Amino acid sequence: MSDTTRRNLLKGAGATLGAAAFAQAMAPLTKWTADLSFDEFLQKHYKEFTREEMAVVLRRLEEKTEREYGRKVSIQDLPPQEGVSFGYALNLSICIGCRKCAEACHQENNHDRRTGNSYIRILEMEQGSLDMERGTAFYDHDVPAPGKYYLPVQCHQCDNAPCVKVCPVQATWKEQDGVVVVDYNWCIGCRYCEAACPYHARRFNWTKPEVPADEINPDQGYLSNRIRPQGVVEKCTFCLHRTRAGRLPACLEACPTGARVFGNLLDPQSPIRWVLENKRVFVLKEELGTLPRFFYFFDK
Amino acid sequence: MSASRHLFAYLRFLGRILWMSTDGSWRFYTWMVVLTAIALVGANAWAQQLAQGMVLTGMSDHVSWGLYVANFTFGVGLAAGAVMMVIPAYLYHDKEMHDVTLVGELLAVAAIVLCLLFIMVDMGHPERAWHLIPGVGRFNWPVSMLTWDVVVLNGYLLLNLHVCGYLLYMRFLRRKPRKRWYLPFVFLSIFWAISIHSVTAFLYSGLGGRPFWNSALLAPRFIASAFITGPAFVIVLLQLIRRFTGLPIGEGPQRTLTSVMRVTVLLNLFMLGSELFTALYTGGAHAGPVRYLFFGAHGHHGLVPWIWTAVVFNVGSALLLHLPASRRHVWVLNLACVLAFVGVWIEKGMGLIIPGFVPSTLHEMVEYTPTLTEWKITAGIWAFGLMLLTVAVKVALPVLSGRYASPHAREAEAAPGSSSQESPGGERQPAA
Amino acid sequence: MDNVLPTRLLCLLVALSWCGCNRDAPRQLQPPPGPPTGVETVLVPEKLTSIESDEKDALGRPLRVPCATCHSLADARPMPSRPEQLQAFHRGLQFRHGELSCTSCHQADAPRSLHLATGQALPMTEVMTLCSQCHGPQARDYKAGAHGGMTGYWDLSRGGRTRNNCVSCHDPHTPKYAGAHPVMAPRPPLPHSEARAHE
Repeated sequence: MSDTTRRNLLKGAGATLGAAAFAQAMAPLTKWTADLSFDEFLQKHYKEFTREEMAVVLRRLEEKTEREYGRKVSIQDLPPQEGVSFGYALNLSICIGCRKCAEACHQENNHDRRTGNSYIRILEMEQGSLDMERGTAFYDHDVPAPGKYYLPVQCHQCDNAPCVKVCPVQATWKEQDGVVVVDYNWCIGCRYCEAACPYHARRFNWTKPEVPADEINPDQGYLSNRIRPQGVVEKCTFCLHRTRAGRLPACLEACPTGARVFGNLLDPQSPIRWVLENKRVFVLKEELGTLPRFFYFFDK
Repeated sequence: MSASRHLFAYLRFLGRILWMSTDGSWRFYTWMVVLTAIALVGANAWAQQLAQGMVLTGMSDHVSWGLYVANFTFGVGLAAGAVMMVIPAYLYHDKEMHDVTLVGELLAVAAIVLCLLFIMVDMGHPERAWHLIPGVGRFNWPVSMLTWDVVVLNGYLLLNLHVCGYLLYMRFLRRKPRKRWYLPFVFLSIFWAISIHSVTAFLYSGLGGRPFWNSALLAPRFIASAFITGPAFVIVLLQLIRRFTGLPIGEGPQRTLTSVMRVTVLLNLFMLGSELFTALYTGGAHAGPVRYLFFGAHGHHGLVPWIWTAVVFNVGSALLLHLPASRRHVWVLNLACVLAFVGVWIEKGMGLIIPGFVPSTLHEMVEYTPTLTEWKITAGIWAFGLMLLTVAVKVALPVLSGRYASPHAREAEAAPGSSSQESPGGERQPAA
Repeated sequence: MDNVLPTRLLCLLVALSWCGCNRDAPRQLQPPPGPPTGVETVLVPEKLTSIESDEKDALGRPLRVPCATCHSLADARPMPSRPEQLQAFHRGLQFRHGELSCTSCHQADAPRSLHLATGQALPMTEVMTLCSQCHGPQARDYKAGAHGGMTGYWDLSRGGRTRNNCVSCHDPHTPKYAGAHPVMAPRPPLPHSEARAHE
């Protein structure tokens, strides 16, 4: 009897010790749970919000940004336009690989400053070859270099998008205007889409993005350039906070050589349609059947 | 007998055996304390990773999956491999195997929990896991292979929990299990075991942008390697059980499992060779990852030591298993099992997940090395899995062998149970 | 009979997966683009009306001197045929533009304006018409919106856009695009080095 009592006491002590050790081990989570509000935790999927509910969420996110980043921003949720389907084309004969587009993307989309993230990755390629294995993104000399051409790669907004297919929770989908978007508040951060994308178009927020208050672009969209939470996947959205307001994407405006052509595929008068109809256009990795909306062409 | 009465009685039974599991020798306590300590280190590392972000891992946008997914993949194989005990026991009526099949099923349970934990720690937002619940979240089924994996893994977990729980409970009550309540589930679990590993392979092989994975041979390879690791683990486990519990376990299961392994190690090597031939002889994009994996490419050699270790281990285990000595000396067999286990762990983990990302889809060479955080979490999860398995086996065996049975067993069953030794834990339980 | 259960579970799963999608709130799209009301403005770069001098302003930018400062004088010297012959203000002008001579584009006796191949006079600001005489494919692409870069609105019903002039990017005397040093210097692919240092 006394033996079992002693045993039980020991067990109790062990259990208490174990519980205390567990609490100690999990202590770093207090910071994490403090950042996580109840509303955020229970937030619905983007598609289930009515306009009124969305407005509440947008205000909450604006307040959160101001609290955490010290900048008043406006977060909007512009729906797609009727009769609009976006397409993008890039003239490889003209691109000089100056990475101005990547820089514009970095600033426009409030990317993490430390990592120098951008949705556009530019490969310096060898003339006469489309083999990316012979290209490199790590060039840092005057451009254009002799014997090279430059291949900027960003999200191709595929019509048969592998990333959309694989998402287990429908946190990423294709909008009516052709843009593939992510609901950053629904993404569980499994990164299956990142593995599925053949174009290295997706990025993960490995940490909470750092942007100085005065560098934040305050014109933000829920599905595009608002400052992303830690632990979710993000991607190029053809700057939908701009393009759905009729404006050109930031990367196009920044291009010093005019290599980029953007527009409405459904408008026969649009520059993008002219390129598709008059230039010899190709897409990357066509054999994968992803049906990109991002086209490349050469002048000569 | 009403269902609700059974439900409560069953829960009480679970509580009792769990309480019972807290009793043990000093060896048991030491083992559990060590595992607990490792698991806590892992838990702490995970908490930090969650707070500071996945930046603490070695993963990047180029190599977006690493050690966690590698271990997940391996764990699924371990779970599926347990079916190699079920098939002989239930399909070929191997009596001796039948007696220990439960060990395999418990291993499956522990392995699936291990897999789920590895997925959990790989997620950027584990608190959003409810988005995966059909009807509540938005379950992208049937389009996403990952949702299939969620279904099959949880299904397999439930199947095995049910079969183990039901058989143990019946044994506890000293009643003959009714076939209709477990046999269909056992047979279902055989197909299910194949499906969990096929679906896990399809996760990777369905990605057109990753030539290294985009191979129809991936699922067969997964199955073959699963039938190496499962039996290898069980062979060693059965010996440990016999040693520590004195339970009379015949040589039969070990012989059967060894025979299975003799075939599967060769099959696995053959399929690996086929993959290598196809990739290297063809050349081009498909050869890139293989070249990097085995020989290094563009000045990067991070995986070369890993994969050659795996090759040496796998070939070594195949040779050992086919030596007559493996039949005479159990240490040779055990060495072969350990080699096979580690070999497949590398081949299916670091040797399979990482080369899928190197070179990247834009053919960039960005290497991956797991960080200390990743190793801590990985070790923690394995320790937790082993704890689970230890407890499960520890409580299941006395029930299974009839040493521990319900005090009311005699009323519940017409045939009198003969030697019902009550463990002291069982007596006290109703008060708790 | 026992197979009913899995079938039922499967049906349940299907039903649940579908009911997740039916909760979508109806969505109001934006109206389609209307008729184009925005204007396309073509830039008129400073270099069409002025030239850099050696002097710098307070910010270190070269001071520009309007062409008219010199060329409004009645007796401007006659234009040489090759740039090497320039002795005074335009000295050092780099010229790499095929076999052209100064007077191929400039009017020898009216340096503030240009002339087409037909001899017809053209104000400096209309330089694009001049370029288009030889560079047909570029002019065609430009007209279609596929050459030259722009800022503003793709949707002309919502706003205008500003388009580059030929001479915004190409110096007519050395028209080959100058190139640049790339911005956003490449970083080591792993963004984690500093966070990892904590370990």
